[in-house]
Amino acid sequence: MGKQLRQIAIYGKGGIGKSTTTQNLTAGLVERGNHVMVVGCDPKADSTRLLLGGLHQKTVLDTLRDQGDDIELESILKEGFMGTKCVESGGPEPGVGCAGRGIITSIGLLERLGAYTEDLDYVFYDVLGDVVCGGFAMPIREGKAKEIYIVASGEMMALYAANNISKGIARYARQGGVRLGGIICNSRNVDREAELVRAFAEELGTQMIHFVPRDNDVQRAEIRKKTVIQHFPDSKQADEYRELAKKIEENDKFVIPKPMTQERLEEILLEYGLMDDLKDDYRI
Amino acid sequence: MAGLIEQERYTCAIGALQTVVAIPRAVPILHSGPGCGVMIKGFFERSAGYAGGETAPCTNFSEREVVFGGTDRLRSIIKNTYKVLDTDLQVVVTGCTAGIVGDDVASVTDEFLYEEDRPIVHVETSGFKSSNYVSHSAVVNAIIDQYVSRFEEENPSRSEKNLVNVIASIPYQDQFWKGNLKEYKRLLEGLGLKVNILFGPHSGGVKEWQTIPKANFNVFVSPWYGEPIVKNLERRYGQPYYQFGYLPIGANETTKFLNGVVDFALEQGAEIDEKKARAFIAEEEKAYYEELDNLATFLLEFRYGLPSYAHILHDAGYVTGLTRFLLHETGLVPKEQFIVDNVPLKYQEKIAENIKSTSDKRDIPVYFDPDAGAMQDVIRGLSHKGKGIIIGSGWDKELAEEIDADFLSIACPTPYRIVLTTNYVGYTGGLRVIEDIYNTALVQYK
Repeated sequence: MGKQLRQIAIYGKGGIGKSTTTQNLTAGLVERGNHVMVVGCDPKADSTRLLLGGLHQKTVLDTLRDQGDDIELESILKEGFMGTKCVESGGPEPGVGCAGRGIITSIGLLERLGAYTEDLDYVFYDVLGDVVCGGFAMPIREGKAKEIYIVASGEMMALYAANNISKGIARYARQGGVRLGGIICNSRNVDREAELVRAFAEELGTQMIHFVPRDNDVQRAEIRKKTVIQHFPDSKQADEYRELAKKIEENDKFVIPKPMTQERLEEILLEYGLMDDLKDDYRI
Repeated sequence: MAGLIEQERYTCAIGALQTVVAIPRAVPILHSGPGCGVMIKGFFERSAGYAGGETAPCTNFSEREVVFGGTDRLRSIIKNTYKVLDTDLQVVVTGCTAGIVGDDVASVTDEFLYEEDRPIVHVETSGFKSSNYVSHSAVVNAIIDQYVSRFEEENPSRSEKNLVNVIASIPYQDQFWKGNLKEYKRLLEGLGLKVNILFGPHSGGVKEWQTIPKANFNVFVSPWYGEPIVKNLERRYGQPYYQFGYLPIGANETTKFLNGVVDFALEQGAEIDEKKARAFIAEEEKAYYEELDNLATFLLEFRYGLPSYAHILHDAGYVTGLTRFLLHETGLVPKEQFIVDNVPLKYQEKIAENIKSTSDKRDIPVYFDPDAGAMQDVIRGLSHKGKGIIIGSGWDKELAEEIDADFLSIACPTPYRIVLTTNYVGYTGGLRVIEDIYNTALVQYK
């Protein structure tokens, strides 16, 4: 048994592009010959849409609700782009029930059903933006994902969320083996973004593992329900995701993050987040 | 400091489902896990009432309800309850899981209220919120606010001068609740008052509850629990309340209690005949003392085999009432006393004062601690002259054996005693306490 399964959780502020990044990264990894499973941990169940070419029809929790405990793995695990295995945890309607418990239930069920097969190289957990309760930390508890990447941009709130998530990681890291692998910058074209995110990452004790530039090809591919690598295989953006996949594959820098105080975060923003020569160009 | 406690002698908040069970023809509907109802039924033995115990409908809240919310399940349980149970009042009580998940229970009961005009009420009794001593008030207030309030037009505030509501025993937690409430009712009626006793077979069920606003004032017998009820009634209907801070047991305290009620009733404009009321009290007293006379010979003959001191482990109402009774009316000396109902700090001083005022010659140390196991250890470390008696729950039986004391079971849980309609309050209640204490001594007489 030469290979080791790498379980990776992707966190980040809501709307930052976790699902898009995860799926494009997954496409990059399968192109490199890896076997990957993506587990969507968001009640919206839209973490595998690009890999499957449409929304997953049967989430784990929907199936559990309709059929009870007696479920076949095939009914919840669908194959997507180049054999990627796709699962959506799903969850209750907005405003009712407990989505966090849903994640716990659904990951527990996947384990029982034997979804974690030996041929897998990677399992990705794409987790809802706001880790509001213990359930959403399930993927990084003991025996699950050991690697975490946070998707962020140079926007203040994205960095604030990333710092907050780091606090959670630091807590779990003290007890178990979970480590932060880096910050993936999903660019929003804000001032000096790469420098800012790099400085932020260094302050946390980690790295900015890759800077994914903003490119409308992503949006175009999304509308077609495809990853960029599948839809525009020869584009520059497809190469960016291939580069990200390569860096993740080769990454060996895993740390316990050192979350910073709000004051320090704001200092970094002041230091790196403004472009002095453009200050007259701010318009309302 | 957080820590473990042993032998909690009450339940979590959902135990107040027994408050519903005690109302004739009312049903509690449990929106909780299946274990909650079983736990409550087990703690309060013989506690089924009209539709409690195994009869009580329960949503059996499980993983599916946690993840997706349990309101659909609750809706169907309520519907089915109407199909199989003929009840006058339905009270949905919620367990911890429903509370944590945040089920909107009110929206479900509102459907049955507004669409079918059902007598349905909901109340949050998540176990983590409080004990049943506290949630008893929440349940009663929920019924007042959501059900009684619907009949306010026919029952104008304070419109019946001689009517009183009695807020006293917590059903089932006070294992003598049925007898006690019956005795309060008999005594207050003896004064010329009309009584809403609200719980048990001598109450008029929901019809009686509907007339709560009409009462001129409320009679509140408790050191602390139930206070939110009388405060709510004061706010809603302007009803003042007469408080007696412990259980009136025996002649001294019952006379004091009843005279207090008469004074208060007259102040509030009740149309009772004061002379007749005081004569009733005197007559009751006379009957009581006749029995004490009868007892004198026995006490003389058996004085060496009788207990000379007592430790009580119970709630504040019982400990205070019994302490006063034992010292002044039986001659049994109350030594260290243990109040184990987790009395909120703000009431403790007054309760301690009440106990201190029992005697100006004897110091009666009082412990406030819900950790009854620790209190037993305190007793193990004490030593007093003569034979003692432990008056507490079934859990104290072994302790009594250990220290060679007599034992009388009067508190929950009570596996060694069956109580049906016995009362401990009032004149007759005092006599019953005497019977019980000396009977335990006589059992050993050869």
